[in-house]
Amino acid sequence: MSGLAHYFEAEGFATVLVGFVREHIELVKPPRALWLNFPMGRPMGKPNDPEYQLKVIRAAFELFDAPSGPVLEDFPDVIPVKGGRMGYALPPGLVYSTDDIGDVDALLAEVQAEVEELRPAYEAAVAARGRTTVGASELEIAGLAPYIAAFVKGERPRSPRKGLSPIPALKLVAEDLQAYYTETRTHRDGIDDFELLGKWFWEESKAGLLLLWLEAVALESEDRVLRQVVDMSLITPRFWSEGPLPGSSGSGW
Amino acid sequence: MVRIVEMPAVGRGFIEELKEFEVGRTGWSEPVPAKQRRISIVSSAAVSRRGDKPFSWLARNHRVIGKHDRDLVMTHVAVEYDRTAWQQDLNAIIPLDRLEEMAEAGEIGLVADEHYTFMGAADPNDMEKSALEVAARMKADNVNTVFLIPV
Repeated sequence: MSGLAHYFEAEGFATVLVGFVREHIELVKPPRALWLNFPMGRPMGKPNDPEYQLKVIRAAFELFDAPSGPVLEDFPDVIPVKGGRMGYALPPGLVYSTDDIGDVDALLAEVQAEVEELRPAYEAAVAARGRTTVGASELEIAGLAPYIAAFVKGERPRSPRKGLSPIPALKLVAEDLQAYYTETRTHRDGIDDFELLGKWFWEESKAGLLLLWLEAVALESEDRVLRQVVDMSLITPRFWSEGPLPGSSGSGW
Repeated sequence: MVRIVEMPAVGRGFIEELKEFEVGRTGWSEPVPAKQRRISIVSSAAVSRRGDKPFSWLARNHRVIGKHDRDLVMTHVAVEYDRTAWQQDLNAIIPLDRLEEMAEAGEIGLVADEHYTFMGAADPNDMEKSALEVAARMKADNVNTVFLIPV
């Protein structure tokens, strides 16, 4: 974003940015920047807290009063994170191999039952919010887990999106499934804790287990793109782990 | 976000190795008075209108969202950041409602008709073409102020 600020400023726009990586802001020197010691994914600090969001915006816009730049200020609040990580990360030891994979159809049936159990609460969440973020894959909710399970079984289902090949679509399907679960619980249970939600989805739900089995298959796949999904942690959250996934390069990024 | 040295190993390794942006186009544009500001948000959250083409894994292009668009999806390549905040409230990452409130209160001028999203994992050195396309649209929309927000 700091780079984009330079492009826009040179085109005649006054810019201000909020940013997470202070070292990068110091390096790239955008004209006006406010550093946020917040978890990534929350640049306005807190969801459903208009006053707090306005506090962040007003602090950023105060930088327009600076007579010259670059100017870099620190937002005074800190929203703490666990162990320096910006999002939930799977425990390094929670890794499956293809030898661990059992009856995929049986697990799929359990995931589907889990999905249906959550459905009334999901629909209530959508009604309350007037929106859902589920649907980037364009696959209906009941079709999400079967699409993932097909990959676990070594099949290559057709992509649900025209113009998108099956593996990039797989990533969107996995994200839709996770969003379905977390949108449901944040509303139903009033939880706003991404560590807790991550632990629940990835370590306790059947849907999370299905995706961990997918990771095991991808890890041993001869398909370069499917391997890349693992090497770059594009589905399973290992970016903030203390070590790379065994068997992956850990340096795909 | 915490300092890089405080981060766990895998993420720290990636962020430390990000290429330095070659600052070829720098400038300083004088802000207009607050009440004259017409503001556009530029987000790196790879959010787009439902049905728009998803961002590719190495996308350098952008998507346009209207100021009243709320039916949005995210197709960012990265999964390392929290997505539950925006699932609950779009304003946690793209505060269109907050800017509208500030405009109604007279703290700013107007909220632009169009706002723009990029995919934050792209190298900014490769984003100039798309940035200039966005700049042209913003000029057509009489924007004079840009609020850049990462995810």
